[in-house]
Amino acid sequence: MNGSDVAVSLGGVFSLIVPEILLLVVACVLFVGSTIRANRNLWGGVAVFGLFLAAYALWLTAAKVPTIEARAENGENISTMLFTSSILQTRLSLLVSAIALVGGLVLVLFSWNEVPDQHAGEYHACLLLSVAGLMVTGAANDLITLFLALELISIPTYVLLYLLRHDRAAQEASAKYFLLSIFSSGLLLFGFSYMYGMTGTTNIAALLDALARDPNRLPALALVALVMVVAGMGFKITAVPFHFYAPDVYQGSAPAGAAFLAFMPKAAGFVALLLVLGYTWIGGPVRGLALGPQVPILFLILAALTMCVGNVLAILQDNVKRMLAYSSVAHAGYMLIGLAVAPDLSYSTGKPITGGAEAVLFYLVAYSAMTLGAFAVITLLSTPERPVETVDDLAGLSSSHPGVAILMALFLFSLIGIPLTAGFAGKFLIFFGALAIPADQVQLSEHALWFWRLALIGAVNAAIGAWYYLRIVSAMYLRTPIKPIEQHPSWPGVTAMLICAAVTLGLGVYPWPMVKAARAAILSERSTDARTEPLAKTRND
Amino acid sequence: MDLPRLELLIILALPLVAGIVVGLMGPQRGRAIRWIAAATTAATLLLTLHVAAQFMRFNTPRAAQAEKRVDTPTFRPLFVPGAPGVTLHEGNIREENPHGTSWNLLPLGPGNIQFFIGIDGINLWLVVLTAVLGVPVVLVSWNHISVRVNEFYAWLLILQTAMLGIFLSFDIILFYVFFELSLVPLFFLIGIWGGPERRYAAGKFFIYTLTGSLITLLGVLGVVFACYTKNNNELTFSIPRLVEIVHARLRIPNEEERQFWANVQLWVFLALTAGFAVKVPLVPFHTWLPLAHVEAPTAGSIDLAGVLLKVGAYGFLRLCVPLAPDVSLNLGLPLVSTLAVVGIIYGALCAYAQDDIKRLVAYSSVSHLGLCMLGMFALNSAGISGSIMQMINHGLSTSGLFLIVGMLYERYHTRKISDYGGMAARLPLFGVFMTFICMSSIGLPGLNGFIGELLSLMGVFEQQWQRDQFPIYAVIGAFGMFLGAWYLMTMLRRVFFGPLKEPPVPEHEQHDPITDLTGRELTALVPLAILCVVVGLYPQPMLDTMRPDVKVIEDIAGNARKRVVLAAQRGPAVVENDRGEGAAP
Repeated sequence: MNGSDVAVSLGGVFSLIVPEILLLVVACVLFVGSTIRANRNLWGGVAVFGLFLAAYALWLTAAKVPTIEARAENGENISTMLFTSSILQTRLSLLVSAIALVGGLVLVLFSWNEVPDQHAGEYHACLLLSVAGLMVTGAANDLITLFLALELISIPTYVLLYLLRHDRAAQEASAKYFLLSIFSSGLLLFGFSYMYGMTGTTNIAALLDALARDPNRLPALALVALVMVVAGMGFKITAVPFHFYAPDVYQGSAPAGAAFLAFMPKAAGFVALLLVLGYTWIGGPVRGLALGPQVPILFLILAALTMCVGNVLAILQDNVKRMLAYSSVAHAGYMLIGLAVAPDLSYSTGKPITGGAEAVLFYLVAYSAMTLGAFAVITLLSTPERPVETVDDLAGLSSSHPGVAILMALFLFSLIGIPLTAGFAGKFLIFFGALAIPADQVQLSEHALWFWRLALIGAVNAAIGAWYYLRIVSAMYLRTPIKPIEQHPSWPGVTAMLICAAVTLGLGVYPWPMVKAARAAILSERSTDARTEPLAKTRND
Repeated sequence: MDLPRLELLIILALPLVAGIVVGLMGPQRGRAIRWIAAATTAATLLLTLHVAAQFMRFNTPRAAQAEKRVDTPTFRPLFVPGAPGVTLHEGNIREENPHGTSWNLLPLGPGNIQFFIGIDGINLWLVVLTAVLGVPVVLVSWNHISVRVNEFYAWLLILQTAMLGIFLSFDIILFYVFFELSLVPLFFLIGIWGGPERRYAAGKFFIYTLTGSLITLLGVLGVVFACYTKNNNELTFSIPRLVEIVHARLRIPNEEERQFWANVQLWVFLALTAGFAVKVPLVPFHTWLPLAHVEAPTAGSIDLAGVLLKVGAYGFLRLCVPLAPDVSLNLGLPLVSTLAVVGIIYGALCAYAQDDIKRLVAYSSVSHLGLCMLGMFALNSAGISGSIMQMINHGLSTSGLFLIVGMLYERYHTRKISDYGGMAARLPLFGVFMTFICMSSIGLPGLNGFIGELLSLMGVFEQQWQRDQFPIYAVIGAFGMFLGAWYLMTMLRRVFFGPLKEPPVPEHEQHDPITDLTGRELTALVPLAILCVVVGLYPQPMLDTMRPDVKVIEDIAGNARKRVVLAAQRGPAVVENDRGEGAAP
């Protein structure tokens, strides 16, 4: 690769990350500006402006630069771009960017009044940085880029958790998160280095291509890489046994911080897993199996453990944030079912039916909407004098705040998985995928049976989950207030809540557009020809 | 779109829309809310009756079609909005799909989840029952509910839509959606406006039913995927089409195929039973029922007993038996029949032991639904018709009982049998209606209860007699009916006859002098009483309407019976091949 190529590819890359750059610029403005003036309304407004600016830029980029899938469908030769570029505009990246921007907007809105005036600028700046990080994660086509994007999410998080609250619990929470996050980054890098060692490239497309050439004779190193990568990501997505920081950290930090943790790292972790393990790669029979055929078994075990531990421990909690922490563990478990299932779906049929990886994406959106919504309600009702900590604090909410209560009920019923909410559509797609593993072929029957068992475990877990979510609903509707809540909801918080409610209800009543988008992001043909000769060429260059 | 299809959509949407409107009106405007609720339920009832009248015009052609039918037996709903469905084959070939509609909700690979609703002989009368019970439910809550009025009627109306949706759905996922959706309103109805233990009751009801129904969902998806893998990757969620495919595949005389379907049927049967047995409830899964019934406000009890218990039985009839016929016969018949007779006797004995009238009625439901399930799993024409009749009749009589108990409770704030005595002298109209409804519930000839019980028992008797068995189930079932008379008459004697013993009128609240039934209460009760007589004296139109569809299930069960008999006679390897075709038509 000579100099001009680098320049061209750099230039190409820059046009793709204009929205992210805009977010960084606004973040810098916020960092600098907050030293001059301390005003939450001003800096909140700037942050919202930054997000809208980025959204507009994203829209322009999406209109102007065709996605890699669109290029392939038009018959362009995309192999050079695929194997050299470190950032790609794909349907997945657009979808992830949209999720990041909407999620970022919701987070900015509902921490609006929670963050103290003197920290408002820094807080929102950190938020924008991690939004940019999530956007880059979706577009990354290089292990280095991916790692940097994940760090761009993690590093502001350490600051952000501390900015919201300064008490001992918050200090402990952010220190704990910091240490474990560093540790998980180490694991991840270790795994990445093995991947590089096996293939001699850090370009994800090239790497997957190399691994796909002989998927049955992978070196034993692949297994090490797989375990390390999954462990590193497992921390971000709070998969058991990497979940144990979550309850303490969620409980210790302010509700807005907990909401951030429930959304941002989890989304990034799942998207990164989809990319690195080749779930979006159609080059050959490696969908999700880039690092070996053990992937379904690994995720199957992780999913079962994560669901069961998350749900059972959530029952025991009295603290709402702690309960939601375990609930977010449990929901990570449901999503892991999708990852476990996805490889087999494409093995068996030419036209895979919905389920698996696209169900994971759908569930991710649904989960984010309902969990952020639930945290938004808690944030909205908490005051420093009367924080909403335990389930009892929500008692009688329906009589004092009927509107907030009905929305909270919506989020909780969605978390249970009642029809007409996003949670049901998501769970349905996940279970649908797990049961779609065909059982008629002899060699697959035992295999399929395991996924049926997994679906059964999932269903039982959904019922267990109903128990503790229903406790909150009961407290809100069936009990009289113990200490009345007098907090008057503020408009940014209400807006955040309404966005979440609209997504939760919209995805539940008419899930098709989102399913379609998720399916396009996962199942698009990235030109099967692309994986033939060009790799050798690029290597030789 | 022609009229009945439009009416069907309005029937489904109207209560939901009214519920949302009422919910947004705020708790202060109680009067307006009550009138809106009453008007909505009345309008739904009228529309439903109109649909029923139009449906009955098709009785003769449907009967003729059923007689000369040569293809695979399956349900053929009429008045399907968006029908006929269209299947797009490769190369843009459009084929009309008789078992679907063109209203797709969610495409999943090669198939679609559809908004497939319609009317056939099995669900018609259950839909009518739901609409009929909608009116008294509103009327009985008129004065009884005074707090959070808007929420109450909102949940009540949303529940109405969910219940109608369960019966109307012919798409298996749509069915499930309505099935689970009905939990939420009832949870709030029991939990907010219920008795002292309402929170526990509401939670228990919700968790029990949800657990069962989640396993049902897996079973439902299991059938879908079994058909998908075996029938040329055809992914369908339409219940009639699934029934057709399962039935066609079961006829294939291939050992591997037979093994596969034997397996699938077993698991599907177990999974579906997990959900529906809780709902019916069959005996070991009934513990949520007395609690939920007793704690629920009268309106909730009526919807629960009158309609939602039928959802379980309806699920067995619509899904479990047609989708797993062989296992229903081999395993289901002895299993369900045993549980049913245990339920009949156990429910009756528990009912006799109660001092709380409402709890007595709740246990009597366990007993009556046991008979309903016993009749259904006779798997012959008489038994199934009797079972459906029993569902309708139990809906009418038990709702009547709950209504009267609720009205009595509103006056005296006690439901203890021992607090009352000789009330017929004090409240003569109460006495008349209570006696009448009890007679109907016992199954006095000439009233509605009789026909369902008679047909069910006939079916069971016939079923065992034909196989040269002693008709033990029929005998126990009949004994259960005797027990029913025993506990209801005992209750009637102790509460309404004998020396007068009036409970003290609660003093802590403003109370009008105790009066006999008011005009509003009569409006709720009289139509039920009239229906009891009409159905009792002239059930023939109902039986005629349901006959073609009952025959479908009977045919399915009949073929299963042949298969089982032949397999037993000729050894496991030889299976019947009655028409010998390969794939589903």
